[in-house]
Amino acid sequence: MASKRLKAEENWTGRRVDFPAFSDALSKRRAELGNPELPRNSGERRTESKKALLKAIKDAGGKW
Amino acid sequence: MSSAYRPEFEAALRLFARVSEAMHELGFQRPILVGGAAAEFYSQSAINTGDFDLCTPRQDTLEAEMQKVGFIKPSGPGQMTKGWIHPELRLGFEIVANIPMDGNYDRETLALIENFTDEGAFIVISVEDLIADRMGQYASGTARDRLQQAQTLYRLHPSLDKVYLERRIREETIDEHGIEALES
Repeated sequence: MASKRLKAEENWTGRRVDFPAFSDALSKRRAELGNPELPRNSGERRTESKKALLKAIKDAGGKW
Repeated sequence: MSSAYRPEFEAALRLFARVSEAMHELGFQRPILVGGAAAEFYSQSAINTGDFDLCTPRQDTLEAEMQKVGFIKPSGPGQMTKGWIHPELRLGFEIVANIPMDGNYDRETLALIENFTDEGAFIVISVEDLIADRMGQYASGTARDRLQQAQTLYRLHPSLDKVYLERRIREETIDEHGIEALES
């Protein structure tokens, strides 16, 4: 199974991102910019399904 | 592994990697992470999302794999969601479409994230398409907060493909905005 997976991964033609390197570079960039925050979505565009899902997460004790 | 992300988000990414790898082993493309969770990924939790929005043309198969790792359908009065929650980790996944952005993106820009966990790789929409999506919502007039999100993501990723980004912003905003809106 591993060899089959490796073969398929070799066929990937999109971008490849090595997570540790990506995360390190992003950490440095964030620090350079003073750790900017992004504003949370206002929620005005949420579908009814999305509102119900977020309520279910909240009811389960999630802190998202 | 880096701890720059909040723990809840890392736990969600690990689950996403597991179900992504399961899909891959079944011979299907991994699902694609889009929306607010992609913004959290590309900002290192500088924005906290509510759940994971996923795209896959194999919804039934992915949902079966999600159930194997503990996701359940919320139950009870008024629970009309298409999403799933993981009661132990208290997070949610929702399959929102077969493909991202109605197919208006270049598949070659999708990012396969490797070496996050030994449980599997996962796919995230490109940061360019994510920014273009934010700009499209901003231009629609219904989500003015998205401009600042787009600007910050742009500043966080100085090596992104500016030619592709310009084209995609023009497409998503019906030529109302270009990359200059991010530089102001």
